[in-house]
Amino acid sequence: MSTGAMASNPEMAGAGSLQLTIDGKNVPVQKGKTVLQAALGAGIYIPTLCYDPDLKPYGACRLCVVEIEGMRGAVSSCTTPAADRMVVRTDTATVNLARRVALELILVNHQGDCLTCYKNLNCEIQKVAQYLGITEKDLERLRKGKQIVPPDTSHPAFDRDHNKCILCGRCVQACHEIAAIGAIDLAFRGCATRVSTLGNKPILDSICVSCGECIARCPTGALVPKHYEQPTHRVNTICPYCGVGCSLSLGIRGNGIVDVQGRKGSPVNMGGLCVKGRFGFDFVNHPDRLTMPLIRRAGTKKEIKASGNPGDAFYEAGWEEALDRVVQGMTRTVERLGPDAVGVLSSAKCTNEDNYLLQKFARAVLGTNNVDHCARLCHASTVTAALAAFGEGAMSNSISDIDRADTFFIIGSNTTECHPIIGRNIRRAVRNNKARLIVADPRAIDLSEIADVYLSHLPGTDVALLNGIMRQIVEAGLHDQAFVADRCEDFEPFLRSLDPYDVKKVEEITGISGEKIRQAALLFGRAERAIVFYGMGITQHTTGTDNVKAIANLLMLTGNVGREGTGFAPLRGQNNVQGACDMGALPVFYPGYQRVDDPGAREKFEKGWSKALSEKPGLTVTDMIQAAHAGHLKALFVMGENPMLSEPDLNHAKEAFSKLDLLVVQDIFLTETAQLADVILPATSFAEKDGTFTSTERRVQLVCRAIDPPGVARSDWEIIAEIARRMGYPMDYRSSAQIMEEIARLTPIYGGITHDRLNNYEGLQWPCPDRTHPGTSRLHEGRFSRGRGKFHVVQDKPPAELPTVAYPILLTTGRILEHFHTGSMSHRSRVLEALAADSRVEMNPEDARRLGIEEGDLTSLHSRRGEVQTKVRKSRRVRPGLAFMAFHWGDAPVNRLTITAVDPQAKIPEFKVSSVRAILAVLERAAKDNKFLAALAENPAGALSSFDLTPEHRRALVNGDMASLEKWIGPLEERLKVWLKARLRQENLSEGQSTKI
Amino acid sequence: MAIGTRPKSAPEKKYTVRICQGPGCALSKSEQIRLAFEVEVKKRGLPEVLVDFTGCHGFCQQGPIVVVEPGDIFYTHVTREDVPDIVNLHLLKGKYVERLFYRDPLTTEPIASYRNIDFYRNQQHLILRNCGHINPETIDDYIVNGGYTALQKVLFQMSPEEVIEEIRHSGLRGRGGAGFPTGQKWEFCRNTPAEKKYMICNADEGDPGAFMDRCTLEGDPHAVLEGMVIAAYAIGAGDGYVYCRAEYPLAIKRLHIATEQARERGFIGEHILGSDFSFSVHVKEGAGAFVCGEETALMASIEGRRGMPNPRPPFPAQSGLWGKPTNINNVKTLASVPVIIEKGAAWYASIGTEKSKGTAVFALAGKIRNSGLVEVPMGTTLREIIYEIGGGVAGGKRFKAVQTGGPSGGCLPASFLDSPVDYETLAKAGSIMGSGGMVVLDEDTCMVDMAKYFLSFTQFESCGKCIPCRWGTRQMLDILEDITNGRGTMQDIDLLIELGGAIKAGSLCGLGQTAPNPVLSTIRYFRDEYVSHIMRAHCPAAVCKGLVKAPCSHACPAGVDVPRYIRRIAEGRYDEALRVIREKIPFPSICGYVCFHPCEDKCRRAQLDEAVAIRALKRFAADHGERKAADQEQRAAPSGKHVAVVGSGPAGLTAAYYLSKRGGHAVTVFEALPVAGGMMRVGIPRYRLPEDVLEREIEGIRAAGVEIRTNSRIDSLHSLRKQGYDAIFLAPGAHAGTRMKVPGEEAPGVIDCVSLLRDVSLGNEVALGQRVAVIGGGNAAIDAARTSLRLGAEKVTILYRRGRDEMPASPEEVREAMQEGVKVDYLVSPVSISRQNGHLAMTSIRMQLGKTDASGRRRPEPLPGSEFTKQFDTIISATGQIPQIPEKMKLWIGIDQGGTLRADPYTSSVSMSGVFAGGDAVSGPASVIEAIAAGRQAAASIDKYLGGKGSINETIALSEDVSSLPKMPEEEGEHYRPRMPVLSPKKRTQEFRLVEQGFSKAAAIAEAQRCLRCDLETE
Repeated sequence: MSTGAMASNPEMAGAGSLQLTIDGKNVPVQKGKTVLQAALGAGIYIPTLCYDPDLKPYGACRLCVVEIEGMRGAVSSCTTPAADRMVVRTDTATVNLARRVALELILVNHQGDCLTCYKNLNCEIQKVAQYLGITEKDLERLRKGKQIVPPDTSHPAFDRDHNKCILCGRCVQACHEIAAIGAIDLAFRGCATRVSTLGNKPILDSICVSCGECIARCPTGALVPKHYEQPTHRVNTICPYCGVGCSLSLGIRGNGIVDVQGRKGSPVNMGGLCVKGRFGFDFVNHPDRLTMPLIRRAGTKKEIKASGNPGDAFYEAGWEEALDRVVQGMTRTVERLGPDAVGVLSSAKCTNEDNYLLQKFARAVLGTNNVDHCARLCHASTVTAALAAFGEGAMSNSISDIDRADTFFIIGSNTTECHPIIGRNIRRAVRNNKARLIVADPRAIDLSEIADVYLSHLPGTDVALLNGIMRQIVEAGLHDQAFVADRCEDFEPFLRSLDPYDVKKVEEITGISGEKIRQAALLFGRAERAIVFYGMGITQHTTGTDNVKAIANLLMLTGNVGREGTGFAPLRGQNNVQGACDMGALPVFYPGYQRVDDPGAREKFEKGWSKALSEKPGLTVTDMIQAAHAGHLKALFVMGENPMLSEPDLNHAKEAFSKLDLLVVQDIFLTETAQLADVILPATSFAEKDGTFTSTERRVQLVCRAIDPPGVARSDWEIIAEIARRMGYPMDYRSSAQIMEEIARLTPIYGGITHDRLNNYEGLQWPCPDRTHPGTSRLHEGRFSRGRGKFHVVQDKPPAELPTVAYPILLTTGRILEHFHTGSMSHRSRVLEALAADSRVEMNPEDARRLGIEEGDLTSLHSRRGEVQTKVRKSRRVRPGLAFMAFHWGDAPVNRLTITAVDPQAKIPEFKVSSVRAILAVLERAAKDNKFLAALAENPAGALSSFDLTPEHRRALVNGDMASLEKWIGPLEERLKVWLKARLRQENLSEGQSTKI
Repeated sequence: MAIGTRPKSAPEKKYTVRICQGPGCALSKSEQIRLAFEVEVKKRGLPEVLVDFTGCHGFCQQGPIVVVEPGDIFYTHVTREDVPDIVNLHLLKGKYVERLFYRDPLTTEPIASYRNIDFYRNQQHLILRNCGHINPETIDDYIVNGGYTALQKVLFQMSPEEVIEEIRHSGLRGRGGAGFPTGQKWEFCRNTPAEKKYMICNADEGDPGAFMDRCTLEGDPHAVLEGMVIAAYAIGAGDGYVYCRAEYPLAIKRLHIATEQARERGFIGEHILGSDFSFSVHVKEGAGAFVCGEETALMASIEGRRGMPNPRPPFPAQSGLWGKPTNINNVKTLASVPVIIEKGAAWYASIGTEKSKGTAVFALAGKIRNSGLVEVPMGTTLREIIYEIGGGVAGGKRFKAVQTGGPSGGCLPASFLDSPVDYETLAKAGSIMGSGGMVVLDEDTCMVDMAKYFLSFTQFESCGKCIPCRWGTRQMLDILEDITNGRGTMQDIDLLIELGGAIKAGSLCGLGQTAPNPVLSTIRYFRDEYVSHIMRAHCPAAVCKGLVKAPCSHACPAGVDVPRYIRRIAEGRYDEALRVIREKIPFPSICGYVCFHPCEDKCRRAQLDEAVAIRALKRFAADHGERKAADQEQRAAPSGKHVAVVGSGPAGLTAAYYLSKRGGHAVTVFEALPVAGGMMRVGIPRYRLPEDVLEREIEGIRAAGVEIRTNSRIDSLHSLRKQGYDAIFLAPGAHAGTRMKVPGEEAPGVIDCVSLLRDVSLGNEVALGQRVAVIGGGNAAIDAARTSLRLGAEKVTILYRRGRDEMPASPEEVREAMQEGVKVDYLVSPVSISRQNGHLAMTSIRMQLGKTDASGRRRPEPLPGSEFTKQFDTIISATGQIPQIPEKMKLWIGIDQGGTLRADPYTSSVSMSGVFAGGDAVSGPASVIEAIAAGRQAAASIDKYLGGKGSINETIALSEDVSSLPKMPEEEGEHYRPRMPVLSPKKRTQEFRLVEQGFSKAAAIAEAQRCLRCDLETE
């Protein structure tokens, strides 16, 4: 164990203060600190190159050496723990010799010119060289290093120039300790030692996740961003990608973002970032940004183009004309068909203030509760179930609890890809704190590799799995009886409901061995402090609400709620999906989960908004689509959402959208949804607006405007306020901060939140009822929000659609690391797009082999609802019969295949289970008008036995004689010939048999 | 089964044949010998013979080794073919096979038992107690020899604290190299509270040339395991690892066998021997990184991380393997533990020195006669190890240095031979004990190259983590590379010292902290070799490839292109051969007759059979080649400058020759004697160098335009200046004998050797009488002795105060003198001389060799009470020569302590502008070829001083087309040089006739063809 580990050991730290003498000066320092920290704390400069306070002491650069009485030679101060009455000298002949020589050696082996180095003036070597006063003459006496290594330029974001590397090891440590990946390490020996990937392959071919933590810590120009411009100033804000809520510092130059750094003081990411957070912000300055309001040209067809110029259907208009069209359309629909003929889709990407105002617009201006947003598609079931079980729909604890937990159970969450910073924290806890990890996911995730138990259950069997585990826990007597008795209710019926879930039955349903189920149960049952993380693998099911209730049951059963290091952790997908829910962008809730059908609440808001409000719960997103299809909903206002990629059964949804009289889309890009719009309003990106985001851990954080919006684009809330005003309802806010004041007035959980209070590193975690309240990092401490935690009886139910002979493959959908949601932002990031340009369907090699599909083959996927074509990636992450595809691609929208079946309570669609078949695209084309190929395309083998083959035919088939075959069935594409040869071998034909027929 | 008893099933055997299968013997296919024994024994039906194998026996030089017991009968260099003999004679008939016995190198007496061989007799085997004596794959063999009794004692009679106390009292220190007190280390670990602790055996022996741990593990793995279990008990460890490098597959295999057997017998595992103590052992293979011998790197490697060291603190005893307190001991440390427990701390502490107790194992290698594995008590001197056990330097070469401690150690010169080998002494001398590598280096080792070799090893093995080690060692290596290629500067030496200091101070782990040691210690003790590489582009050992084309030419002070003229001789083109020689020296014949030929000492042919007879070939070329008048016409145009040369010896005449011929200067040589030639004329007896040969070559100097004025003594530099000489070269030689500092040496009849030889040369009458004593051991003493014989003395005795090996005279001269009847009395020194009734009575005292002095030779010390007196007619003192410098000159020119002139070693200039000096007057008595070299250097310097370019090399030979050479035979067989025809000793002593008659043409050509053409070697 290094001293760093000792330093972070709570028993050592703060146990008292020590007195050192450094260069004759008395220096007090806390126990557990190093000599270097003591010196730096006392203002005594000690040069360093490998030291980084975020990393364990490493002791490689030897510049921080000092002499300490009683110790032999020069010792590295960065690794030596301070001890009482230690006498340290930092400026002796030995120390200076060692330092000077070390630095001279660095300099003569450092290839490249300072003036053309991007690190010039920020280079740490330069700083130390200046301090030591190294001159040209000092270097002349030494032999100049001759070793030149070609730089690794494989990565789209950065180059690795070994010739400037001093092997300080900070990148390696960052990769191991911060990112917990270990894509790089030192390799080779002697002066040939260098930072290398496994097998010294280009970094792009390694397990690197492109988080860039290495670049952020390189003291020299060895890790060079590919496109670097020096920013002129910096602005702090919050990352707009996933729901983790990382704090950012944007480097601004002109009106562009040229650099992104994580903010070290943030309790969320502590300076860390993932690939999207670090490299994914060029979308803000992308030329595709909407700069003017657009109005559909009369007579143009509503269609979605994956290529070409979709903007041709629109003309650029001024705000006046565009807003008039919106107001007229809305007003006419409300007047003609009533307010419920209008729907409003709010946005999990927009600020709390935007969302608040939009739902207020729907309710107070339009008079409808038809307001919803994409939380419906991700965590509606969480909100429903957790409100029922605990009384709050949000994550119960904080991200920081990860460091304090001893056991994690991750189910239905691809954490490292979808919530990279949380994923990395879990990985670190498992690696460094020796925390135990259980992963349950039909598709193996990165973390399953380091899991103590990995359960690869069949999709849609979560309830059975969880009930099975709980039964084992109870059987082993590992449940927390005191917790259950003191704090919960309805335990008995719940307990009885577990009866059917004996190991054997659960084995049958889930496809997991009883032994593993038992292991998982014991591991979780014995945990002192456990957290359950889950994502859309749990929620996006027809049993989504039941799934979440089962998780809630598990946590209550084992007493893992409301304590440090425990918790219920739904991982929210979008940056402000929590906030959008909090703000009441939901059809049954006003802000702060106050029900619209609760007269008291309604009265409060009617008073607050000076308007009578509808008591009728509104339509959910999924309902709105059905209503539009049925012709009941005629106008739709969409703010920052892209349902034309994110909705299930897109063909159906598109039909529904096409039937609308008025579709208004307010966005920053011409999304698939916007392409169907009548009016498009240009809005601002996160970088161009002020406001707040609420992260997955209920943390409300300040978003600050860093640059000016492009063209005449306006903030979402400003546009909404303007429309409201034009519709006769005054919304005269001067700033988003003022909106937050109104939110606080009407929303108890946000009662104490103001923009002023958020101007710090931490923000505030709700509930924060008043202005002096410090926020709540942990819900349900001592008492559940609803009083007693409620056990629910949930039973296993099969998914809505199961594989059949015609659709034999179970398709599940999700995200990948490099892209985000419908990709409108990430596809417009140079680096992200370069890292993952093409859509892929992940298929088990066994399935691929059966279908004659090779890696990278273009393949058609069909479901009962639609078809997409995409390339195949063979992967053992999915079991045979299971396929996985992400929904980020407009040119391969997997949601054409998914099913609209929804959870009856939460109305969330079952994105995770649909049945498809796959066929090689080239074969599909050819088989369309060729019976022979069509027969071959139908597995299993033996299809040809029903064909009346002449001996000549048979010989050609047996020999794979393509020339003859082409004469017979027409010209074949090369790929098809390869396929055909392989396929014919499976037919097991032989010439001998031919005579028999 | 009770410990210490032989298993019942094993019947008593009459003979046990133990075949060594240590690394060395195994390489010589000892396994086949074992099989041959089994076949043979079976064939003969000898059930009472046990054929078994053992680990290394240590005396690898003599392998494959077979020991037959009882009687410790020791058969060496055994082959399969010898097996039937041993079975027939020894096992069947009880007779020894004497031809396979080891023979004493001095007496050549065969020795039957290894216990009587010096190599073993001078050792004390504690760690290696069972190596070579037991089958390492049979636990019973170990138990029968007392194995695991210590463990039993520890478990049932001692508390862990008592064990630690015992080890502490024994004074055992870490045998891995650092020498940390083992007891203290254990205590440190015991006192760290923790639930889990680890015990690690460090068997990652990585030093080049070290195989102590390997042999211990291969030869006696249970000793290490037992030590480990005892250590684990003491510190409270439940789990242990043996970290053994994967390059030792046999050691690993035997460790696995041993742990398995020990587990079966309950020596490791749960509840060892029924006690409460449990301990498991895992064998972990290292992947070959040298740095993994470092504790923290080793633990990182076990944990599956890259083997890189971490700074300490925290120490492994606080936070080691997986963060738990860990104790790491070396193989040999652990193997020592059971013996200490068994025999007690006091017994162990009685062995060794005050601070270094017990024994140490060394892998003796390099230029040593008896290479192998050696175990001696601490404090044994290097001399005892190298000479008494190791049998001295191989191949009759001179000892130069010993490298201890492997690549992290240092090179110690001969002056340390009498230093005791212990931790403190070695560290003080700039080396380390290390894990026990000991490499002996002889005169043919270049110390710069040696340092480079070890540094390149450490550089390659550096883990690369810390800057000083990674780039510092590289920087030092680059500098050494430059130096060995003639591109170094004198500042580089200081830079090496500075870098070395910084690397030692600044490096993270022991590897870097010791990596500069070989460089620093060689600079400390062999700085002149560095200087020679830098200033003269000369590698004294003729090793460095960047400087040495052919070692013979390189060894020649004048740089004569030896292989080229030898090829010309082989082609029969003697004129050309002579031209090649004359490109570098103006005295080809003289060198051919009398040169002491340093070239031959470095001849690579000697590694095959015998050095090429280079001097004889040179004489042949000079005798048979014709000097073409045309060669002389290449004289440079007159420069108008005048040069005075004082002294007409080889240095003076050489300088004069080149200054005149190549510089175009007007040169006048002043000679005090009536004849020219200096020592060539008045020092070298005629039987070695005939007068006509000398005369002819001096004539050649004159022909180059040099004026020689004899009978012209120069007492004042100013007078020469006044005569208009622009530059002066002082080469007056060393013509005065030194005094013996013996009372009575002024007595008549006591003469000095220089005067004697001069008088004889000049034809002066000399009467010596019958009995002549010559005092001294140099070539001059031999000349005096042989001359005395020729002058009619009947009994000539040379008295030399040191031994034969220390005698500086060239061995062939000594040999010839002894053939002629000269007696040499070694280890004798005169005490006093008195004249008694017409004779001289000399009292001498016997000497013995004591400690090594600064020259690396052992200092002769008088043996009290051994005085004896002998009568002589003449006593010739040949103890040294000094130059005679006129007092006036001494005022102007610095004089060194030995009375020699002080001149710059690279420019020959003295403290007075325009004056240069060289030859014996500067260097003290040396050789003709060295004087020629001095003359060449002076000529170049003077020419430069006078405005010339200083280029004195001549191109008079035709260029050589090496591509047309006949091919060398692919595999050269052994061919020895032809014998030089000489006069019979009897004929020789009657007069001053030339002894050596010279090669015939056929002999010369044949001899020339033996040349290996090193200069044409391509990589």
